[in-house]
Amino acid sequence: MILRTAGLSKRYGSHAALDGVDLAVPEGSVYGLVGPNGAGKTTLLAILAGLRRPTAGAVDCPLPRRRVALLPDTPQFDPWLTGREVVALARELVGAEVPAARVDEVLHDAGLVDAADRRVGGYSRGMLQRLGIAATVIGEPGLLLLDEPASALDPAGRREVLDLILRLRVRSTTILSSHILADVQEVCDTVGILRSGRLLFQGSLDSLLVGRAIPAYRVRVREPVAAVLQRLRGEDWVTGVEAEPDGGLRVGVRSLPEAELQLPRVLAACDARLVSLEPLAADLESVFLELTS
Amino acid sequence: MSLWRLEWLRLTRTRRLVALLGVYLFFGLTGPLSARYLSEILGAVGTEGVRIEFPEPRPVDGIAQFAGNVSQIGLLVVVLVAASALAFDARREMAVFLRTRVRGVEAVILPAYAVSTGAAVAALVCGSVAAWYETAVLLGRLPVARMLAGIGFAALFLAFAVALVALAAALVRGVLATAGSALTVLIAMALADNIGGIGRWLPTTLSGALPGVVNGTAPSRYLPAAAVAAALSAAALAGAIALGRRREI
Repeated sequence: MILRTAGLSKRYGSHAALDGVDLAVPEGSVYGLVGPNGAGKTTLLAILAGLRRPTAGAVDCPLPRRRVALLPDTPQFDPWLTGREVVALARELVGAEVPAARVDEVLHDAGLVDAADRRVGGYSRGMLQRLGIAATVIGEPGLLLLDEPASALDPAGRREVLDLILRLRVRSTTILSSHILADVQEVCDTVGILRSGRLLFQGSLDSLLVGRAIPAYRVRVREPVAAVLQRLRGEDWVTGVEAEPDGGLRVGVRSLPEAELQLPRVLAACDARLVSLEPLAADLESVFLELTS
Repeated sequence: MSLWRLEWLRLTRTRRLVALLGVYLFFGLTGPLSARYLSEILGAVGTEGVRIEFPEPRPVDGIAQFAGNVSQIGLLVVVLVAASALAFDARREMAVFLRTRVRGVEAVILPAYAVSTGAAVAALVCGSVAAWYETAVLLGRLPVARMLAGIGFAALFLAFAVALVALAAALVRGVLATAGSALTVLIAMALADNIGGIGRWLPTTLSGALPGVVNGTAPSRYLPAAAVAAALSAAALAGAIALGRRREI
């Protein structure tokens, strides 16, 4: 583990922003910290970055403070600086051992070469976000803390930032807070679900989703749909069948192995023309809603 | 790109340096002019039948006009310019950028303090030299050593005012709140000048040292205030650093 917290708590008067959080972040992982607004995500990241002090508990991270970098949700810079100057300043502040050529390198990675000598006051939100990432990775941090990095962006800007995060995963461990669950499911391999300052779940994304998968199949047949529907409803291993608006059938089953054996038999018995057949996995959103409701 | 250069760019690219130099130069040029021609100006606009007589203007009047004007409007501009540099926690995102990268908050405070003070003193010197030249042309020569001593005391006062802004920035977050807090303390000090013998110990006394010394007051009279200003500047900076380290973002 590159980072562990033990019983981390942060209180503001009587309000507990964090309440006994035991975080465990594997080295090299992209850890998705998800939770509704006010769950304590920003507070937790601020404590990990050393910007706030915990009321109780401890943070155990072997990295020196300067190798932990935080990118706020809407990064801002002095508008009269150019993009290149922002990254050059970040390089100077994190340490002279970073070669000067790295400034152009990270600007290129962030897709900002053409805008590098323009003042950041004229940058779009997406460009500011990518500039923020460039200024964050210039020091090659061992632990990267990204607070809602794509929440304020349009779809194109969000796509660019997610691609950038995917490219970064080979270089450092990343903790990414977000309430956009599709983003977390796309880029993260480990997940922590936070609600009202408490960590409700922590583990790999697979263990979260597989463990809670609803055993079901989606079946699409060209014809005879009604006959297949009727036949399936008569099978004892089927827990329910629903016709979906797109013509598919959602087939709830007792177990996936049983369905793997029985479904082809039923379809063959009906002389059905099969289009597709797939097991349904639980998505992060449904699990998140289940855990936080 | 160091934090020193960042502060220099803040001054030049945002025209704050132009504003500082402009205000001091403007009063440096107009102060002696108004002292020289005040009687003629008032005579030209005066009520018919009413005659106003002024004593013959002396060289010290030119400097006094300059010092009087810059001690208010000049100081206001200095405080606002310094607050814009030193209240770096005003916007969380920008504070995060700086605070997560430097070893200690003093790495941000000290360059901002030094560059702001340097710019304020440079503006004071430019304005004083302009006033000095114009006074010499219009009203007569000024004593060199006393002028230099007076400018030195005024510069020390500005250094104190900027240190006070640094302390205020560590206590409140916004730029205007920082400037307002510092100005409130400076005004309170100026009012306390009149209480008993306390005035000669207060740094605000130094804002009137330039015309005072030129007019014949012994420079040693301002030494207690200068010593207090230097000590309080150091204390204010140390306080700003200590409070800045403790602040949560």
